[in-house]
Amino acid sequence: MAVSVNEAVSAGPVPDHAPPARRRGFRGRSVLEVALLTALAVVMLFPVLWMIETSIKENRDVYAVPAKFFDFKVTLDHYRDVFVSSGGGGRSTLSVAFLNSVLVAGVSTVLATLLGVPAAWAYSRFSVKAKKDQLFFILSTRFMPPVVVVIPIFLMYRQVGLIDHPLGLILIYTAFNVPFTIWMMKGFVDEVPAEYEDAAMLDGYTRLQAFRKFTLPLLVPGIAATAVFALIFSWNEFVFAIFLTSSDNVRTAPPAIAGLIGGTTVDWGLVAASSVVFALPVLIFAYLVRKHLVAGVTLGAVRR
Amino acid sequence: MSAPVPLTTDRPGQVASTTPPARGRSRWLSDRRLAVAFIAPALLLLLAMSVFPLLWALYLSFTDYSATRGGAANWVWFGNYTAILTSAQVHLRALTTLIYVVGAVGLQTVLGFTIAYLISRRTHGRGLLTTLFLVPMMLSPVVVGLFWRFMLDAQFGVVNSMLGSLGLGQVEWLTKQRTALLSLIVVDTWQWTPFIMLIALAGLTAVPKYLYEAASIDRASEWFRFRTITLPLVWPLLLIAVLFRAIEAFRLFDLVYILTSGGPGVSTETLSFHVYKVAFLGFNTGTASAYGILMVLIVIVLTQLYLRYLNKLKED
Amino acid sequence: MRYPRRIGRGSSPGRRVQLAAAAIVLVATTMAACSDGEDGAAQVSAPKAPAAIPELTKDPLTLSFIWFEWPPAQALEKFANEEYKKIRPNATIKVNTVPNANWHDAMFTQFAARKTDFDIAILDSQHIGEAVTNGNILDLTDFVKNNIDTSAYSPYLLAAYGQYPQAETGKRDESASLYGLPLLGDTWTMIYRKDLIGDKAPQTWDEMIAAATKCQADNPGVSGLAFHQANGSDAAAVTYNTVNGVYGGNLWDAKTRKIDGVLNDPAGQEAMDVLVNKMKPLTAKGSGNWFIDEVNAAVAQGKACIAFNWIAASGGLLDPKQSTLGKSREQILGKLGFATLPKQKTDLVPLGGMGMHVSAYSSAANQAEALNFMKWFEQADIQKKWAAAGGVPSRTDAIQSPEFLNAGPFNKVYADSVPRMRDMWNVPEYARLVDIENTNVNAALNGAKSPTDALNDIAKEQQSVLDSSGKKGGGGL
Repeated sequence: MAVSVNEAVSAGPVPDHAPPARRRGFRGRSVLEVALLTALAVVMLFPVLWMIETSIKENRDVYAVPAKFFDFKVTLDHYRDVFVSSGGGGRSTLSVAFLNSVLVAGVSTVLATLLGVPAAWAYSRFSVKAKKDQLFFILSTRFMPPVVVVIPIFLMYRQVGLIDHPLGLILIYTAFNVPFTIWMMKGFVDEVPAEYEDAAMLDGYTRLQAFRKFTLPLLVPGIAATAVFALIFSWNEFVFAIFLTSSDNVRTAPPAIAGLIGGTTVDWGLVAASSVVFALPVLIFAYLVRKHLVAGVTLGAVRR
Repeated sequence: MSAPVPLTTDRPGQVASTTPPARGRSRWLSDRRLAVAFIAPALLLLLAMSVFPLLWALYLSFTDYSATRGGAANWVWFGNYTAILTSAQVHLRALTTLIYVVGAVGLQTVLGFTIAYLISRRTHGRGLLTTLFLVPMMLSPVVVGLFWRFMLDAQFGVVNSMLGSLGLGQVEWLTKQRTALLSLIVVDTWQWTPFIMLIALAGLTAVPKYLYEAASIDRASEWFRFRTITLPLVWPLLLIAVLFRAIEAFRLFDLVYILTSGGPGVSTETLSFHVYKVAFLGFNTGTASAYGILMVLIVIVLTQLYLRYLNKLKED
Repeated sequence: MRYPRRIGRGSSPGRRVQLAAAAIVLVATTMAACSDGEDGAAQVSAPKAPAAIPELTKDPLTLSFIWFEWPPAQALEKFANEEYKKIRPNATIKVNTVPNANWHDAMFTQFAARKTDFDIAILDSQHIGEAVTNGNILDLTDFVKNNIDTSAYSPYLLAAYGQYPQAETGKRDESASLYGLPLLGDTWTMIYRKDLIGDKAPQTWDEMIAAATKCQADNPGVSGLAFHQANGSDAAAVTYNTVNGVYGGNLWDAKTRKIDGVLNDPAGQEAMDVLVNKMKPLTAKGSGNWFIDEVNAAVAQGKACIAFNWIAASGGLLDPKQSTLGKSREQILGKLGFATLPKQKTDLVPLGGMGMHVSAYSSAANQAEALNFMKWFEQADIQKKWAAAGGVPSRTDAIQSPEFLNAGPFNKVYADSVPRMRDMWNVPEYARLVDIENTNVNAALNGAKSPTDALNDIAKEQQSVLDSSGKKGGGGL
């Protein structure tokens, strides 16, 4: 039987594994468990809440000791500063960086999908020589430490002039996302019975047409989920971004946010506000693909 | 790459896929061509962007090449490798990395499994709970690092402020040898506990109900049921989650870069961070390449050993 | 539930090893061929800039700088676009900024790429050696001779931001080449709370420590001292170097390239002892990772009696929006005093600031524009305007001008400090040297190493970096 995260994540009533309470004292244990779970949830979520709170505080209150939890003046100035340059209007460097992130993450995701989905289909449907070796090789390219990869990539890019160029980031992100796309999509393709295509081919369609007309439509939800995970990776990536780009109009958001500290004053309110703005798309996307989360975070190696 | 990785699950489609379609020769040929046409672009990209750079790094690792100085790269054979393997500086970073990996992954596993177990025993609000717990995992390491640095600030940070109102003294989270490494472990645990939780939850939800029912008829104790039914079924998934986390933790860079930048002194410098310093402060590209190659080798070898152990465990 | 299952056995390992070996040999030979070709073309020394400024383009042109993210960067962009446009309407100035921690890496990775997105690199004075040795920036000697009035400068300032090999402290070697011109002068200022320790600034290092001790005891919640201790950038290193200078120590013997035995001589040891055992106990708990912005925050929040910071980074202290010390600039100035550093055995102060250096890889038109900009920038009246716009000039006449001295309360401190400045080494190995010093001083300040061990380790490790040329492999560890 399949392990369904869907089931784990769905909000509907799910039958409890534990048998109904039979003994006294069970209720007490249950209360203890709820208390423990609540405590853990508070600890895990507090930093996020604190970040949101800091983003709407005035800088004076941000530094207050002891920390102000409730009685502070709410301001949206930091959010304005994220988008509007402080020096008299115009677009802020941060908002340019956000746009760069959209471009780099978006294009690399599309490329990874275009390259990865057909390959996943081919690996699933055809007998390919040394298929398992190939698949392991593909996966293993994801295990390399980025700091290590960045050295030869840097040397390579300087030969072809891709340093500090969006295309450079797009290519390396695509290369990091293709293995993931292949592994995750192969699982989805495996689930679509090959008989569909066989039947279509008996009806006179070519293999390619059968793939496009019958299999591909069934894969759309899987492709969407896979693409979202690729997008999240490229969106959050920092190491390649900081070493391969330097100018304001190429830099993506993570190094730009990191650049907010280390000047002469740290505007923690702005750091918090830009972090919130930056995290929102990821949280929304993650929510959309919640059914595929397990496969998504393990490169498809563990699926639902 | 040596033996393949046993990381997939059996699929119904697999059966159909491994048997070549029993058709005429021309049809098979066109399938073959299709397969090549579909797979080749992806593989070519990986060859160009992953394999070629790695081989280049492998070549450089035998030289004293420097990316800024230019000049001819002199062949130094295993000079870089022996220097790295015998360097006390490297041993220090290896120890730090080891403590960090074991500490962080261990803590995450215990916490993640606990949360998953507690959630799996709830009837209501599971979806909401799971979703909320997952938020830290989705944040960028930059955001996580920056914000924790702010929260852990000894003077203005909210953590010390709360400790203060409990009557406890200020803790120097990021500037004392022990606490700095601990902080790194705590922050990583905060971000990645949800990962273990998610996978453990997937395993726990899949434990078939009838097993528990049978056990409760036998009036088996709670602990006995947990030990004999739940754990054995969740264990393999949990081990894979641990593998993924360990690989990620081993190559940790960004959190160190932002949270402590290796301090105090060099006490939170991980191997990755040290590679960065060798590569970009002195631009000792040859040494850094050898260092990197060694790290990749360690990942591959340890992963293989671990997977072999995993397989043996399953066969027993 | 499905368990993960081995998806297959490996094909014969022997064959794979052969294949891999073949591939490695193939790539290795190609690479060897490639890199030989490329390195043959690499310059051994810096290319020369023309003695006269070539004809400038009439097309629109963007002149790009690279600096790190801080207020002077924005001030420069604004100032240059307003003023330089008056004589060159087709030129736009863009100052690219990177995080401070990434500043050296960002410039030198681009230099390494032999392609830069900036025309003028704003190098730290100590970066010059690395850039010159690698041929990354233009040799400006002839250009300076023909276009710049060198007598208008304090010789050491001109040398610090341009000369290589490095000048002796306080002097300039007329026969050495120049690779840059001053952009922003800087040094440390002592910031003290007039309302807590009195109007008169402490004159000696001992007095300063005594005043801080008393102030801390009298004012619970306020710490005696705040200074740079972080292990990133050059934070902790500059702090130690400053104390080292004041206590009569030396960083190295430049002629014999000797560090071990020089840095850790008795004077050096005394300086480390003062820093760790007398000054550190007066700082706030957890201040061991403080740099510019944390020190500023501590002052603005009223948490420090005496603080040390770069002058160019002190402007924010007078901003009432960031400060709890007063509701207006005047109120804040009633509480904050700015003074030159106290003296002890010597009166040395750290040299900060940066020069402008022309990238060897930008286009001819942009290099010409860069030279023109630099010539324009170094004129007396422009330097005064730069001072009024918040910059710190280097020309003596501009430093002494009322425009500069009245622009900020700390500018007098700079003017008084000019004859007292000392810089670090500007050798090509600078980045490694400063990292060794930073991490060890930081370790000593945070109790991870004893002060004596830390100083001896610095001397030993730095010496081995200087001596390491010709070693077979493992450089940079």
